[in-house]
Amino acid sequence: MSNEKVALLQRALERERKARKQAEAILEKKALELYEVNQKLQVSNASLEAVNHKKSSQLDGVFDNLLDAYILMNLKGDVIEMNPSAKKLFGYNLDFEHVNVVHLIYKEDYKYAMQSYWQLINKGFFKDYKARIYTKNKEVKRVHINAGLVYDTKGKAIAAQGIVRNITEEYKEAELKKALLANLEKRNQELKDFAHVISHDLKSPLRSMNTLIYWLKEDYDSVLDDDACEIIDKLSTKIEKMDHLIGGVLEYSSIDKVEQPLEKVDIQELVQDIVSVIYIPENIIVEIPQKLPTITGDRFRLQQLFQNILTNAVLYIDKSRGLVKVTFEELKTHWKFYIEDNGVGIDRKYQKKIFEVFQSLEKSDHSTGIGLSIVKKIIDFYEGEIDFTSTVGAGTCFHFTLKKK
Amino acid sequence: MKGIVFTEFLELVEDKFGIEYVDDIISKSNLESEGVYTAIGTYKFSEMVQLLSHLSEKTQLSINDLLYTYGLHFFSVLQNSYNGIIEQYKQPIDLLNAIENHIHVEVRKIYPDAELPTFDVSHKDASRITMLYTSSRGMYSFAKGLIESTFKHYGQEATIEITKLNDAGTEVKFEIQQHV
Repeated sequence: MSNEKVALLQRALERERKARKQAEAILEKKALELYEVNQKLQVSNASLEAVNHKKSSQLDGVFDNLLDAYILMNLKGDVIEMNPSAKKLFGYNLDFEHVNVVHLIYKEDYKYAMQSYWQLINKGFFKDYKARIYTKNKEVKRVHINAGLVYDTKGKAIAAQGIVRNITEEYKEAELKKALLANLEKRNQELKDFAHVISHDLKSPLRSMNTLIYWLKEDYDSVLDDDACEIIDKLSTKIEKMDHLIGGVLEYSSIDKVEQPLEKVDIQELVQDIVSVIYIPENIIVEIPQKLPTITGDRFRLQQLFQNILTNAVLYIDKSRGLVKVTFEELKTHWKFYIEDNGVGIDRKYQKKIFEVFQSLEKSDHSTGIGLSIVKKIIDFYEGEIDFTSTVGAGTCFHFTLKKK
Repeated sequence: MKGIVFTEFLELVEDKFGIEYVDDIISKSNLESEGVYTAIGTYKFSEMVQLLSHLSEKTQLSINDLLYTYGLHFFSVLQNSYNGIIEQYKQPIDLLNAIENHIHVEVRKIYPDAELPTFDVSHKDASRITMLYTSSRGMYSFAKGLIESTFKHYGQEATIEITKLNDAGTEVKFEIQQHV
């Protein structure tokens, strides 16, 4: 072999050797890298397993403790899993028997059930399914179901799960409530009609009595002495009071009768109108320190409300210089009004009584005892509250709220 | 450039021309690696350029012809290592069609730093595929050799029409018609 060839082969050999060492070094490095990656993987695997374990034990807990029934079924409707509530509700035990949801469907709800199933398959879920089901011993129960599909990692639907709530009692109660409500409405209507009829029927004999008294006085004027005339006048006054009373009853019973349209009502204007219409003795001043707001409501009822309170306030002022003050405050959901007077005041013990119908604290000819009960009824209608603060002899402040519409 | 491209290249040179040629082109080149290559290493592309041009000088064969021959040979190297991937395709055109979106994706998983050419498919039917080769290396002849071997592997033949879209051959259109 020539020297040249030997040298060439030696060079080739040297390259091969170096290449081998290089490869070994690279592999060594790679092996180390792999080892480190492996270590890290083991750590993260361990923590993943811990998380997984935690999740699944959480799920198990939720599954077992869920008050609602949980059902897992395959897409053919065969039940795969039931939680304790489901076993209790349906009465089946999957360890011993096979259950297909079709057998649970109440026969009259079958079509609805199939529609919901179709929605489940096509949209992936259904919500608020409310229908009847059969339990194992053929009891019928009402249930509410929300259901959704379960997918595998590739997004293919493999099962369906549902939360089933037993609403049998709820349903019965709701039905009962509905019946009661209907009954109540009917009764209320009857009562209103009754009040109306009575009022009208009572009013006509009163009118006759009035006329008769008038005739009596006119025709027998010459024979009646002063005592007789006085008695007849008292009779007239009583009849007049009776008439007011009946009018009040009529008004009271008609507050929630007619639905008035809501409109913007300027309370400043409304109060000023009332002040100009009702009788206010000269020694009494009605003061509105701050312009009252415009609120949404029905004008007729608001007028009744303010008029009744204002009339009351003015009526019971016994001071030589009377003052009635109207103020307000805007709350988040309500308007609050204050009507303050320096009148006789109301004892706290009458607090409950004064808003009741036919309660007048004073025997008076012009007091029917209906006014404040009308006020209360209107405030109830506006979802508000009324109360008062008072010092006997010094005055009263009525304050009430009206819900913003 | 992956070391296997160098080791396979030098082995092929040794096979076809003898060990003297290998020694010659290595000693004529100015190589950072000193001509020491292992399949699992990574080396500069400029070393491949030098080796190729010295071989071209010595053999009086064009670089493109050399690359083409190397490409023909290199398919068997890939087949040795990655037959599993090749077997996923039943037709050569399907394999070519998958280079960009499947094969290269897998390559990057193993070698995140690999610098790969792109093969954008603009047309594909059962017997015809048109691809745009893009690579700063301009090794389209190597690609041609590989493609021919691919057809051969499936027992098929094809006409490969090559249109260089620039002088450097960094963008080249491949129009491939499989023989029926």
